[in-house]
Amino acid sequence: MLEVKQLYKSFGKEEVLKGIDFRVDKGEAVAVLGPSGSGKTTLLRCISFLERVNGGEIIFDGLHHDMSHISKKMIRQIRMQMGFVFQSFNLFRNMTALHNVTIGLTAARKMPKGEAEQIAWEMLRKVGLEERAGYYPDQLSGGQQQRVAIARAIAANPKVILFDEPTSALDPELTGEVLDVMKKLADEGTTMVVVTHEMGFAREAADRVVFMEDGVIVEEAPSGEFFQNPQKERSVQFLRRVLGTAK
Amino acid sequence: MTDRLTDILISSFPQMLLAAIKMSIPLTVISFLLGMALALLLAIVQVADIKILKQISQIYIWIFRGTPLLVQLYIIFHGLPQLGIVLGAFPSAVIAFGMNVAAYNAEAIRAAILAVPTGQTEASYLIGLNYPQLMLRVVLPQAFPISFPSLFNNLISLLKDTSLASCITIPELLAKTQKIAGRTFDYLPMFCEAAVIYLMICTLLTWLQGFLEKKMAWETKKVRTGRHMRLKAGT
Repeated sequence: MLEVKQLYKSFGKEEVLKGIDFRVDKGEAVAVLGPSGSGKTTLLRCISFLERVNGGEIIFDGLHHDMSHISKKMIRQIRMQMGFVFQSFNLFRNMTALHNVTIGLTAARKMPKGEAEQIAWEMLRKVGLEERAGYYPDQLSGGQQQRVAIARAIAANPKVILFDEPTSALDPELTGEVLDVMKKLADEGTTMVVVTHEMGFAREAADRVVFMEDGVIVEEAPSGEFFQNPQKERSVQFLRRVLGTAK
Repeated sequence: MTDRLTDILISSFPQMLLAAIKMSIPLTVISFLLGMALALLLAIVQVADIKILKQISQIYIWIFRGTPLLVQLYIIFHGLPQLGIVLGAFPSAVIAFGMNVAAYNAEAIRAAILAVPTGQTEASYLIGLNYPQLMLRVVLPQAFPISFPSLFNNLISLLKDTSLASCITIPELLAKTQKIAGRTFDYLPMFCEAAVIYLMICTLLTWLQGFLEKKMAWETKKVRTGRHMRLKAGT
């Protein structure tokens, strides 16, 4: 479905991604784990072309593209089939929740307003926020804003949804409502890549775990296996640290 | 003595107020609208990073902020006729004030555009919006309330700056005052009266600013409940 090969990215002299090979198959939910600064977020931002890469290839929907020489038009075409959920939500402050969901459909995809609103209602129902459709982002809690952002990301029925630490900016008591929505999506067979620090989500909802450190993928395994029987020394250390403090 | 003074102050007040309403205020409003249109262009070419236009915009702002408004007014009204461009006093004033305030407004708008979080720009591109859509639907609607206090500040400054138009024969508030004061040499009370009229108008403008700012805040926008909207949408 989506694959990147030999992805390299540097910020100035600092190499952040050192030849990443990464793939996600149709219907699969992949959790990307790793300590801060390991390059997880950068990987997601490179896949969605928010960062220019130094080298790499992307295979999306069967088509190969050289990521450092891809045209703007092609980037737009690929993005139209991707959903992206940010750590900081990034809802449009000047639009209601409903309008946040419809604008990608009406403005970018030229869908008639009525049809777009019907879809938006459906999406808001899915994330449990029908009653908040007329609210502006500033009138919503962080958890509600993130759920609207998810509704916006899934509205155009993308082939894959990328989540960049979707619960990291939330108060602890609000993470549950967002994770529940994400679990529902995973259960429905949505193709998704989730950069996260939520070990519970990775263990229960993800099909596969990719563990990154220092710009390389250290270990990749089905999520059950990764948590029960990590193979690499660094994965063991990471799990001991995050689960040790969590329990 | 005081009776005479009171008489003069009271009898001159309507004439002066009329000069403000018929000349100072229209001059302010027309110049400001011209200044806004120009400022929007000046700001957008800078933010959009359009090479040559960006430089032209920066040079424009450099010149119009770096030279006195009265000098600009004189160049247009007294200077341009030497090149065969003869403009009336009012058009000259509108052009000078408009072009001058455009430089200040452009900076206010540019700063406000940059204050809209870049995350929303990224989100816009990711849902497929193009640059004009990003600007018109997302950035400018948010930049406007941010720039509003600065823009309004410039509007209030401009109202007072229109007094410079008295130097090119425009019968606005200050010119009218000078004329009345000249008859009886009551300069102190008459100029104080003019100051009070400017102050009154600026006070009204300040109230208007506060009212509009409150109206624009997203947090205080009236919400419509989901059910209400659904009924309207018929879904």
